[in-house]
Amino acid sequence: MADYKETGVLSLDDIVKPSLERMNKGPVVVIECVENIPCDPCVAACPKEAISMEDITDVPQVDFHGCVGCGLCVTECPGLAIFILDTTSEPCTVTIPYEYLPVPEKGDTVYALDRDGKRVQQSQVLRVRCSGKTHGITISVEKENAWNVRGLEVKK
Amino acid sequence: MSVVICRCEDLTEEDILEAIEKGFKEIESIKRHLRLGMGQCQGKTCVLLTHRILARELGLTPEDMDEPTARPPSRQVSFNVLAGDDDE
Amino acid sequence: MEDNRIRKHPVLEFERGEEIYFEFEGERVKAYPGETIAAALYANGLVKFTESKRHHRPRGFFCAIGKCSSCIMRVDGVPHVRTCTTPAEDGMKVERHGALPEFPKDVPPNSPRPLERDIDVAIVGGGPAGLSGAIVAANHGLDVHVFDEGNHQGGQLVKQTHQFFGSHREEAGTRGIDLAVELKEEAHKAGVHIHGGSTVLGYYPDMTLTVEHENKLEIYRAKAMAYCTGAVENYLAFENNDLPGIYGAGGVQTLMNEYGIIPGKRVLMIGSGNVGLIVSYQLLQAGVDVVEVIEAMPHFGGYQVHASKLRRAGVPIRTRHTIKRALGTEQVTGAVVHELDEHWQPIPGTERELECDVICIAVGLHPDNQFLRQAGAEMKYVRELGGYVPVRTPDMETTVEGIYVAGDAAGIEEATVAALEGKLVGYAVAERLLGGSEEITMKKEGVQKSIEGMRQGPYGEYPRRGVKMCTLEEEVC
Ligand SMILES: Cc1cc2nc3c(=O)[nH]c(=O)nc-3n(C[C@H](O)[C@H](O)[C@H](O)COP(=O)(O)OP(=O)(O)OC[C@H]3O[C@@H](n4cnc5c(N)ncnc54)[C@H](O)[C@@H]3O)c2cc1C
Ligand code: FES
Repeated sequence: MADYKETGVLSLDDIVKPSLERMNKGPVVVIECVENIPCDPCVAACPKEAISMEDITDVPQVDFHGCVGCGLCVTECPGLAIFILDTTSEPCTVTIPYEYLPVPEKGDTVYALDRDGKRVQQSQVLRVRCSGKTHGITISVEKENAWNVRGLEVKK
Repeated sequence: MSVVICRCEDLTEEDILEAIEKGFKEIESIKRHLRLGMGQCQGKTCVLLTHRILARELGLTPEDMDEPTARPPSRQVSFNVLAGDDDE
Repeated sequence: MEDNRIRKHPVLEFERGEEIYFEFEGERVKAYPGETIAAALYANGLVKFTESKRHHRPRGFFCAIGKCSSCIMRVDGVPHVRTCTTPAEDGMKVERHGALPEFPKDVPPNSPRPLERDIDVAIVGGGPAGLSGAIVAANHGLDVHVFDEGNHQGGQLVKQTHQFFGSHREEAGTRGIDLAVELKEEAHKAGVHIHGGSTVLGYYPDMTLTVEHENKLEIYRAKAMAYCTGAVENYLAFENNDLPGIYGAGGVQTLMNEYGIIPGKRVLMIGSGNVGLIVSYQLLQAGVDVVEVIEAMPHFGGYQVHASKLRRAGVPIRTRHTIKRALGTEQVTGAVVHELDEHWQPIPGTERELECDVICIAVGLHPDNQFLRQAGAEMKYVRELGGYVPVRTPDMETTVEGIYVAGDAAGIEEATVAALEGKLVGYAVAERLLGGSEEITMKKEGVQKSIEGMRQGPYGEYPRRGVKMCTLEEEVC
C-alpha cells in the first residue's frame, strides 16, 4: 500500500507533473487525485476539453498543452484536489480551492500551508474567485514553494 | 469501568460474558436471558457488538450466527397509538 | 445569548425565523421553528438526556435520527417521546424521566378504527433510493406513497454539505442538500404522496403496513412495496463508551448541518472511512477543532482526496490507533488512545491522553432492514455490504414476492447507487403492476448498466463482490 494511504499526504512522486517546457509557458493545472474513484465533474468543467477519462473510475488524464490554466476546474472538484500553478509570473502563484470562513480578500496577507498543514511562508492574496460556495484563491508564493504550498490559513 | 454493549437495557460486556459462561451461546438465547436488543431501539446497536464478542469467545464467524427474530413494532410506540385515541 | 448555534457557515445558511419558547424542567428554553426538542436543548448546553436503566449512568443523545432512543423524555405528559425527531413547539412542557418511566395512565378505554387505505405502492424511507423509486413508479401512473419518519425528506442527503462524488450525469459535484431539494420537487411533480413524520412500525402479511403519524395509527395495504430505510451506525466497545459527548457521526452531522448546532469544541474522530473523513472536514468548516482522526487499520479507509483535505488543515490521521477509554464522569472530558501492533494488540507504553469534549464514532454503518426480516425475506450475512442483507433478484426484488429493496438497506454503498437502485425498483414495480413492455425492459437494463459502471475500479470491487453473493441468478416468479 502506498505511503499516502497511511499519511494522507501525497509525495511529489505520486503526482503527474506538467513538463518543464509547459510550466515555462504559463499557468497550468495540477490534479492531485491519484486513486480510481468514481467521480468525473472535472471532465465537464474544462472548457478546453483538456481533462479526460474513459471510465468514470479512471484518474483524470490531463492534456497539459490543451490546458490554458483558467482554473474553472479548481472549484468544481468535489475532492478539492485541483490547483493551478504559475511559475512564470513574478511572483509565482498557486490557486487553491477554499471552503472555510473567513474568506480572505484580495490584498490580504495569509499563511501558505503545505500538504501537511505546516506554515511555509506568508503570501499575498492576488485573486478570489467564487463558484457556488467554493472559492478559488490565488496567492503569491516563492518559486521554491510552488510545489509545496497547497493550503492557506487566514491570519486571526 | 463499564463497556456498554446494549444501551437501552444497560448491559455491559461483563453481562454478556457471564451469559456465555452460563451456556447462552447464540444471540437469540442471550436475548431471552438478558433482554438484549429488546429495549427501545430494538437491537440497532448491540447485535453487532454481541456478535463480535461471540466471535471472539467461541471462535464463530458472523456467517455462523444469525440476527434475532424481528417482530413489530420496530419502534417504540405509545399504547395510545395502538389503542387509538378517542378524543375526536 | 451565547449558545451552540452556528451563525456563519461557509456553505450553509440557517434561516431561523421567530424565536419560540418551551419549558424544560421549569426553565424557559429558546428554540427556533423547525428545531427538534433535542437540538434546542443541546444548543442551550444540555448534554444529559436520559439515565441508564440499571446503573443510572448519564446518557446523551446518540444517533439524532430517531433510531437509538437515547433521547427519550416526557413531552406534555407523554413519556418515551424521541426528542431528536419531535419538533419543538411554543409552550411545550418537557422533562426527563428517571431510569424507569412509569406506565402511561391515560390509555384510552375504547378504540375507534384507525385509518385504513388501499394503495398501489408503499415505499418506506424517503432518502435518495425511496424518492427516486417513487418518482419512476408515479410517472407510470401508479398511486405511490412514501413514508418517512423525518420531517424533511431526502434521507442522509439533507446533511451532506460537501459536493458529491460520482458522475456529473448522475449529479456529482452537486451538494447532497441541493440534490434532496431537486428530488423532492420532482416527486411532487410526479404526484407522489409523501407522508412526512410518519414512522412505519411493522409489516403484516398481505402487504400491510402499520404507520404512526401524529400519534395515530394508520394502516396501508399495498400491491407492491419497497424498503429504502437506509442504514444504522455501528457502535464501538470501549471503556466508558456511553458517556454523553460520545455521538455517532450521523448524529453529529445532523446536529451540525441540519440544525446548525455545533456538537462541542474539540472532537476526536474514530474511524477514517469516507464518513469519518467527511464529517471531520465539516466540523472544521463549522469552526470546530478536530484533535485527531484515529484508525485501527494500517491505512485509512476513505478516499485520499478527503484525507488530504484534512492533512492540509493540519489534522493528524493516526493509523493503527484505537481508543482505550473515554474520560469524564458526567460528560466526555478527554480520551485515552493507544497504538496497535500487527496483531491488533495494544502496544504497551503508547497510551496518550487527549483533551476533547466530543468523541465521534464513525466506524461504519449496517443496513436497516428489520421489516424485511418481519416479512420473512431471506437474509444473508455479506460483510462487503455491511451486514445482513436481503437476497434479491437483479431487479432488487426480495424472496417475498412484490417486496423490493433499494439503497443502503440493501447494502452500504453510496447515494448515486442508492438512487439508481431506487429507479430500478420503480421500473420493476411498474412492470409488475402494469405489465411489461419493451421500453421498461430497456430502461431497466440502462439503469443496471449505470449501477455496474459505478461499481468499477478498486473501490467498487468490494460492493461488486458483495452484491454477487446475494443476488439470485434468475428472477424468482
Ligand atoms: C457522512 C456521509 C457522507 C457521504 N458522502 C457521500 C458522497 O459523497 N457521495 C455519495 O454518493 N454518497 C455519500 N454518502 C452515502 C449516502 O448518503 C447514502 O448512501 C444514501 O443516502 C443512501 O440512501 P438511502 O435512500 O438508501 O437511505 P437514507 O438516505 O438513509 O434514507 C432512508 C430514509 O428512511 C427513513 N426511515 C427509516 N426507517 C423508517 C421507518 N421505520 N419509518 C419511516 N421512515 C423510515 C429515514 O428517516 C430516512 O429518511 C455519505 C453518507 C454519509 C453518512
Ligand atoms: S433516537 Fe434520538 S438520539 Fe437516537
